[in-house]
Amino acid sequence: MKRFITDFRNYFKYSIYSAKSALNAEVAGSYLNWLWWVFNPICMMLIYTFIFGFVFNGKEQYFPIFIFIGLTLWDYFNRTVSSSVRLVKSNKAIVTKVYLPKFVLIETKMMVNFFKMLISFIIVVAMMIVWRVPISWHVFWIIPILAILSLLIFGISNIVMHFGVFVDDLDNIIKILLRFIFYATGIFYSITDRIPVPYNHYMLRLNPVAYLINEARNVLLYKSAPEWKWMLIWLAISLGLCFFGVHKVYKFENSYAKVI
Amino acid sequence: MSEIAITVKDLVVRYRKLNKFSIKKQLLKKHYKDKGPKTFEAIKGISFEVPKGEILGIIGKNGSGKSTLLRTLAGIFSADEGIVDMHGYNVSLLSIGVGFQKELSGRENIYLSGMLLGFKEEEIKKKADEIIEFSELGDFIDMPVNTYSSGMHSKLAFSITAILETDIMLVDEVLSVGDEKFKKKSYAKMQSLISNKDRTVVIVSHSLGSLEKLCTSVLWLHEGEIKMIGKPKDVIAKYREFMK
Repeated sequence: MKRFITDFRNYFKYSIYSAKSALNAEVAGSYLNWLWWVFNPICMMLIYTFIFGFVFNGKEQYFPIFIFIGLTLWDYFNRTVSSSVRLVKSNKAIVTKVYLPKFVLIETKMMVNFFKMLISFIIVVAMMIVWRVPISWHVFWIIPILAILSLLIFGISNIVMHFGVFVDDLDNIIKILLRFIFYATGIFYSITDRIPVPYNHYMLRLNPVAYLINEARNVLLYKSAPEWKWMLIWLAISLGLCFFGVHKVYKFENSYAKVI
Repeated sequence: MSEIAITVKDLVVRYRKLNKFSIKKQLLKKHYKDKGPKTFEAIKGISFEVPKGEILGIIGKNGSGKSTLLRTLAGIFSADEGIVDMHGYNVSLLSIGVGFQKELSGRENIYLSGMLLGFKEEEIKKKADEIIEFSELGDFIDMPVNTYSSGMHSKLAFSITAILETDIMLVDEVLSVGDEKFKKKSYAKMQSLISNKDRTVVIVSHSLGSLEKLCTSVLWLHEGEIKMIGKPKDVIAKYREFMK
């Protein structure tokens, strides 16, 4: 634990610089540059709004924003977790040449994706203004919600990264799992309204991503406070996952270079 | 010269076989078994010390554990048994192609590598120009590293480790990098780096001639064990005889 804090402090600047460079490189690589970070989620939102709003007749209040918030948080989760499977392998050049605590790789990835999420959030705010969504002071709950989500992602990513080094085809399984969670999370439908009564309760609370996305929508769109009891429960579980993941990675990280 | 920079004691490094598996293979082949030993010992319990300011050359045939030893010293591998103690000095491993992030520019990679070696951003900033000049890359420094030729790649790698001076340098087969001109330049730079009394250097190389000139002592590694350690002349002479 102490080691984690010193490492975290020592390599924090490295992470920031590395994340910044990665974002720069991404911008330099395409013609539309950073506009893609804006266009991509907007296009996805339009597609889902069309399919589920018109074709499947979804009628949640503020449906486009409803979808957009879901997508924004989901992308943050999905991108980080799915890339962490091969993270050590894709950084082979560095891992085999110099020592660095491996969670720093995840930290960097998270910063990149967090930044992209912030851009999406600017769009969310813009949409809320356009749709004239009435807000209350509950919107500030979004900060602890994002903090818990980040801890959850960090914990899961560490565990996934660790097993990704040793299990060759783990990324196939993770892809399927993530796809399943995607549909179970209610990005484009409201779990509360669409799933029959006893089950929606469990689906919302036992799937942390669904729970956090749902609460994010509640505080931003529907002026309600989150259930702090479940927030605390998921905070505790996320911290537990982080602890377990980092511990595991620390224990085995030296053998990563031998395996890849 | 009494201060010790590197202490290695009873060091064992093992590679585990069968560490990797795939779920597909597990499902399809139930009797998937790997014959032979499960672990392979690359280094079998060696001990030595390097005093501060010394230049230690490591020789040995291919697969004798030289690179493994260097990487263990650099902290990339952990010791399975025994102790590696660098006494708090900062270490850099110089080998063909330092870990670059391919899609980033050369300049960004200078900062990233520097930070990984434990330097602060301001310190690197001061030395960045010197590195770029030494590497002779010119305008290419702001291009992504994956556009570099292999020569440019290793020139940049060499420049970074050579200019950002660490207390202990571990050098893996890079005494000849780039074209003739750069080779001479880097050789001269190496010599000036090495001759610094405060710096401890460990070199792995197959070019016995230059080792004989540069080193203060030579370690001959044979199949994970120390065959001989001592004065460069004696060890290299024996080694030459052995390799015939």
